[in-house]
Amino acid sequence: MAKTPGERRAAMIRLVESRTVTRVAPPLLLPASPYLDLAGEEFGRQLLLTTANNGVDYCLRPDFTLPIAKSYLDDGMIGVPGAYTYLGPIFRQENGTPVEYDQAGLELLGQADPDAALDQVLTFARWALAIYDITEPNVRIGGVGLFEAFLGAMGIAPQWQQRIRHRFGHPTSMRRLLDRLTAPRDTIAGTAPDARETIIEIVTDNMLAAGLSLVGSRQPEEIADRYLEKQALDASPIPEEMVQLLVEYLSIIDTPTRALDKIRLMTQRAGLNIEGPLQTVRNHAAALQALSPKADVIFDASFSPRLDYYTGVVFEMTSERGAILASGGEYDRLLDRLGAVEPVAASGCALWTDRLEAEASR
Amino acid sequence: MTGETLTIAVPSKGRLEEETRRVFGESRLAIIRPGGARSYVGSIKDQPQVSVLFYPAAEIARELIMGTIDIGVTGSDLIHEAAENGARNVVFVKPLQFGHADVIVAVPDAWIDVVNMGDLADVASDFRARHGRWLRIATKYVHLTRKFFADHGIAEYRIVESAGATEAAPASGAADLIVDITSSGETLAANSLRILEDGLILKSEAQLIVSKAANWTPMKKAQLEALLSIMGGIPPGISTQV
Repeated sequence: MAKTPGERRAAMIRLVESRTVTRVAPPLLLPASPYLDLAGEEFGRQLLLTTANNGVDYCLRPDFTLPIAKSYLDDGMIGVPGAYTYLGPIFRQENGTPVEYDQAGLELLGQADPDAALDQVLTFARWALAIYDITEPNVRIGGVGLFEAFLGAMGIAPQWQQRIRHRFGHPTSMRRLLDRLTAPRDTIAGTAPDARETIIEIVTDNMLAAGLSLVGSRQPEEIADRYLEKQALDASPIPEEMVQLLVEYLSIIDTPTRALDKIRLMTQRAGLNIEGPLQTVRNHAAALQALSPKADVIFDASFSPRLDYYTGVVFEMTSERGAILASGGEYDRLLDRLGAVEPVAASGCALWTDRLEAEASR
Repeated sequence: MTGETLTIAVPSKGRLEEETRRVFGESRLAIIRPGGARSYVGSIKDQPQVSVLFYPAAEIARELIMGTIDIGVTGSDLIHEAAENGARNVVFVKPLQFGHADVIVAVPDAWIDVVNMGDLADVASDFRARHGRWLRIATKYVHLTRKFFADHGIAEYRIVESAGATEAAPASGAADLIVDITSSGETLAANSLRILEDGLILKSEAQLIVSKAANWTPMKKAQLEALLSIMGGIPPGISTQV
């Protein structure tokens, strides 16, 4: 029998208020600086801001994850497993227009078994979608941890690793970097002698002449060191076969079994060992595929949210028409960024309930 | 504005105003400003159906996007800056060959290790770990900067809004680098700033711009066509379909 929107809403409320979780409702008006500190201008442009008379910026709640993680820390909950759910409005700016969305979700913090926690999150997302009669969603999973392990195993300079990692999840800038790597060229401005002391002297003179503070921003030593590092990196580029391997890795998109087999084969052939992280992704994909009815799951090796606090497995569930209905994953680095004194495992997901309802009532 | 009057806004002062008058004058469309520099309403000689407003250039961009005026003369950079999708609400009908300027990313010349946006991405990515604060960019072009940096995969920075003398921000310590407009590059050089190799965000010049959001009655459309044809027609490939 067909459900009404009211019945679906009631079922959603029952899901977020089930016995094993705590439903929370962070304030609608939040200080903006934690968001800007965490995600910079790129997320900042989506905030709906208002400024108090004392100059402090506030924003209308743009998501639930950050305030939930922040109160977990502020309330001194480290060491205590937390399972938080939410359901309510969030506010963003998109294409220059303010928009209000309804969001639901689950955040599992400090759980003893982080792998089991992620599987619970995936199951929760499937249940939520099922309320709206989406029983066979398209699921895309990505491996942030796997990619980091892959990079680490490649045996290339840590600076190169950092540069490549930094571009993961941004196909355009990754392509630009790969182009640069496949066609190496000298991009150092002008010519300067290679002695560190001399370079520092030149940079210092230049800064003083320009009226720049030697301590307020980038310092002469930092500039000289990075300049030399660039020269060293240009002189020892990533071996061509490693660049090829990277390109090949990023292009893999297939069923989890086939994709992970391909990655296993290519890394083995190159003598890289990433068995552990591969097995982790394999297990999560299997757990997801074991849920019935069967969802259409693909593993996309290049898929990652553009927020660098995501760590392990990430995912996205979409409708037939490609609308993102749920997204989430493991984000162990978030609580660290917020100042946690010890590592806190975290997984969670957000559900776009407006879109879910739109799908259900089609 | 009233139903059947075509409203055109032109820059109210400075070189932009002079150049606009010159270009219109060359098409025998003399702009009349009866009250002199203090008045904000005028007309065009022998064109009683056209009403002229004198506005600051940035305001012309905003009004064109909102559709409160029909046509305007302003810099294309200001349209892109006025709203994230500002350019969608207007038609750039005719470049006017003046007010040329580039919106660019410039860093202190002393940053010898930073020559392109890729370098800047690397510097931005660990800036906060090194300095305990975000990399700061001084600019009045907030939208253009955010979009350009997002396209280059750079998220780790904060914008410091600057109303004037942006090029002085690195020396004063208000910011680490700038996004600003330059025509000759002289001001940048004088402040020891260097444009990044791929740091050109936008090439801008003064344009005759039609608002898509304005209330286009058949009468006003006809008046627009007539005015544009006096001004030498419309360059090929541009539609005035509004």
